[in-house]
Amino acid sequence: MFDLRPVLFYTGLTISVLALSMAAPAMVDLAHGSADWRIFAASAGVSLFLGLALLLGNRVRRFDEASVRQIFLMTVLCWAAAALVASFPFAFSGLKMSATDAVFEATSGITATGSTVLRDLAAKPPGILLWRSMLQWLGGAGFLVTGVVLLPALNIGGMQIFQLGSATERGLPRSAKVAGQLLAIYSALTLLLTLLLWAAGMSRFPALLHAMSTISCGGFSTAEGSIGEWRNPNIDWVILLGMLMGGAPFISYLHLAQRRWRLAVANTQLRWYAAILLAATLGIGLWLLLTQGGKPLPSIRHGLFTAASVMTGTGYATLDWGRWHGLPLVVLFFLAFVGGCAGSTAGGVKVFRFQILVENARIQLIRMLRPNSVMAASYQGMPISDVVTGSVLGFLFVYTLSFAALSMALGMLGLDFMSAISTAASALANLGPGLTASVGPLAGYAALPDTAKWLLSAAMIFGRVEMFAVLVLFTENFWKP
Amino acid sequence: MLDIRPVLFISGFLLLILAAAMGVPMAVDLAGQKTQWHAFLMSGLLTAFVGCALILANRAPHELDLSVREAFALTVTAWVLSGVLAAVPFAQSSLHLSWTDSLFESFSGLTTTGATVLTGLDRMPSAILMWRSMLQWLGGVGIIVTAVALLPILRIGGMQLFRMESSDKTHKTKARISQIAWGILGVYSAFTIALTLALHLAGMTPLEAICHAMSSISTGGFSTSDKSLGNFSDAARWICVLGMLLGGATFSQYLFPWKGRHHLGVWQDSQFRWYLSTIAFFALLLTFWNWAVGDMTAYHALRASAFNVVSLLSTTGFHTDDYNSWGGFAEVVFFFLAFVGGCTGSTAGGIKIFRYEVLFAMAGNHLKRLLHPNGVFIIDFNQQKVSDLVVRSVLSFMMLYFFCFALLALGLSMTGLDAVTSLSGAAAAIGNVGPGLGHLIGPGGTYHSLPDMAKWLLTFGMLLGRLELAPFIILFTTAFWRE
Repeated sequence: MFDLRPVLFYTGLTISVLALSMAAPAMVDLAHGSADWRIFAASAGVSLFLGLALLLGNRVRRFDEASVRQIFLMTVLCWAAAALVASFPFAFSGLKMSATDAVFEATSGITATGSTVLRDLAAKPPGILLWRSMLQWLGGAGFLVTGVVLLPALNIGGMQIFQLGSATERGLPRSAKVAGQLLAIYSALTLLLTLLLWAAGMSRFPALLHAMSTISCGGFSTAEGSIGEWRNPNIDWVILLGMLMGGAPFISYLHLAQRRWRLAVANTQLRWYAAILLAATLGIGLWLLLTQGGKPLPSIRHGLFTAASVMTGTGYATLDWGRWHGLPLVVLFFLAFVGGCAGSTAGGVKVFRFQILVENARIQLIRMLRPNSVMAASYQGMPISDVVTGSVLGFLFVYTLSFAALSMALGMLGLDFMSAISTAASALANLGPGLTASVGPLAGYAALPDTAKWLLSAAMIFGRVEMFAVLVLFTENFWKP
Repeated sequence: MLDIRPVLFISGFLLLILAAAMGVPMAVDLAGQKTQWHAFLMSGLLTAFVGCALILANRAPHELDLSVREAFALTVTAWVLSGVLAAVPFAQSSLHLSWTDSLFESFSGLTTTGATVLTGLDRMPSAILMWRSMLQWLGGVGIIVTAVALLPILRIGGMQLFRMESSDKTHKTKARISQIAWGILGVYSAFTIALTLALHLAGMTPLEAICHAMSSISTGGFSTSDKSLGNFSDAARWICVLGMLLGGATFSQYLFPWKGRHHLGVWQDSQFRWYLSTIAFFALLLTFWNWAVGDMTAYHALRASAFNVVSLLSTTGFHTDDYNSWGGFAEVVFFFLAFVGGCTGSTAGGIKIFRYEVLFAMAGNHLKRLLHPNGVFIIDFNQQKVSDLVVRSVLSFMMLYFFCFALLALGLSMTGLDAVTSLSGAAAAIGNVGPGLGHLIGPGGTYHSLPDMAKWLLTFGMLLGRLELAPFIILFTTAFWRE
């Protein structure tokens, strides 16, 4: 059995960070005169106690000899513990949420999914609203670090091609430095979005909340009608910009900041991301224009907004796509699987995996004609090894399998066909809303049975840690000494 | 440059077979209603004429030796030409089908899909019913021969694993290929006759019996009744279940059941075991669901679930009940089952069990490699190592499959169909299943009311899926046409 102390130490650290950040909603509620501030303060106290106990009880002198197993366990434990701790304020606040609902809402927040069980958001105390958006922001930050530092180091699903260095040895300081820089960029972008949203006509508090939920590709809103409630094209454009930035590889911003222009542009993932998005926009935009009698410019705006929202896994809506039918639904269904770029806050399968698979299929077709030719698949000029392609396909297969199993389970719980498959796809991709009126962007998940909420919560975490981190815990080799 | 002559030469022979086959429904018609015989006579003569013309114009002076490219061209040409000419009787008959509908029906038959645009089957002239089922039967033969003889040579989607044992020594393999192809044809015909007799004993008229026997062994799914097998006795349903099960399993293993592949018995074949266990799992799951939630009696639930699961998994497309009314769970299950498909080297379509075995192994290896980054993990199939080449081609097949599915679904939705119809229609066409979900194309519905554009897309999808994608896609690559 391996040493559990570093694992618990970092779990404790995560919990403590969450506990400290509960101070923010507590202060807001206090200033606003809402009684909920006591709940936040109490939750913060309990969580902080828990976190510090884990921290102090498992102090290790140095964390540089972490084994792969420890990192796997840590990744999963951190996310699960965070979801649990974050649900305290929901469970004990004046909202009177059941344990199921509280955990669902917290998980949906921390994984930056954005499906909600809350109704009548406008009437909620500001502390709760802030806490929801903060969860997404923190979850986005956590995923950024997980996606840039941990997943590549763990070789999950072909992510090894983004390796910054090995996790165990000299690589860690460099990874930690990059992670720090990325978080700084993340914060700067959040600030920028807040200002832009404010300038576009949102008041300050919603502007901050939406900025946090947008850059993290989360999708919690303060209004029942999502972004559509403002009826302000400028706000639409700003949120759109934010979602696009959240779904792009953050490493490119780093290159931009370091003025390494060529490196920033050379990223082929960005080009595919843009191309897929534009194709989807074209489909949805034309549909809105030709069959729904929209005007050209709003059709393009709504089309682009919806496509970006679904592709990056944000889940904001300007129009209720749950009430659409036909072409755009099929487009959105497939788009939900694509997801954003690797190293972003977006969920889903990720664009680079499709690039690798398409490249491999292309090579394979040519090889069919010329069986003896020597050709190697390459990604951004680097050859892709068979191990990487195998990992990518293994990932995609498990993703599809989980999708199928989850859809069947949801169907068993009484959801209709479209609701079941779209909700399953949406939870795994950390998107949020489904594609029918009953689970669409303006509907919320309040009406789902409790078992379904638990399943979806598990699926959100499963999707967020890219599945294999969870699966590996269940192999018998993992626990062997 | 591609030498097109041997391709057309062989296609010509296949057309002659098709022309001869048209004599059968003609004879059926002459013996009974005497209303359609001229349509079949005309089409038969036309097909024979085209066939002869192709043979005479492309007589090759030397021995036939196909290059890889010609083999690809042959696969596509032969299927497309046969499908087009097989549509002529539908267009010329008293049904007066449009060309779109005729082609849809004939390709749906030849690719053993079983999607139909016809309604009022119960009152349909028997020659037409006969022709539809014969098309499926011939398509079944065609795909087995293609799968056994051509696809492994073309290295499509990991089928090289089923290349004849030993090596590539041409003379030997050629002899073995034709031996195996004839053997399979014999087994196939024997099964058809046995099923016909059994179905007749179960209370079907001779015509119904022979039609259903041909449609079930070829995992096609054309029936002689609008209610499909829902119109027939329990015994007939169970016999069809058996026929579909047989049709969805690897045919070459019926050849030497006492020897089997590598001296393993039939039951040791891992693909066959997976096939049966998948069917059993989903059949029992749905039985339980229908019994517990759907208020069916236990036997009724078992009969309905087993029949429809086998029908979906073997990509046949018969149905006994309207499973659209079984609720969301059943619909989701049937949607995903359309992606599974039967065994390789069978008449079933879809992705095939073998590829899932490789995928499972691949995912498992990825999992193992997470803990042991430098470990060497081997994928094996029936205790035989699966080479990297096979793994890679399985991989690209999967990619192409889902890509084509997505494109087809998008295309269908562009013609104005709703999301459920588009998604399930695309899955059903590429997997050669037949019926989809929803009230339009679900069990009991037909493709009749779909827009013409959607029918063309689906026809293309059926052909694409039947030929395992690559032969078609490769025709669109520049590398194929370049010197």
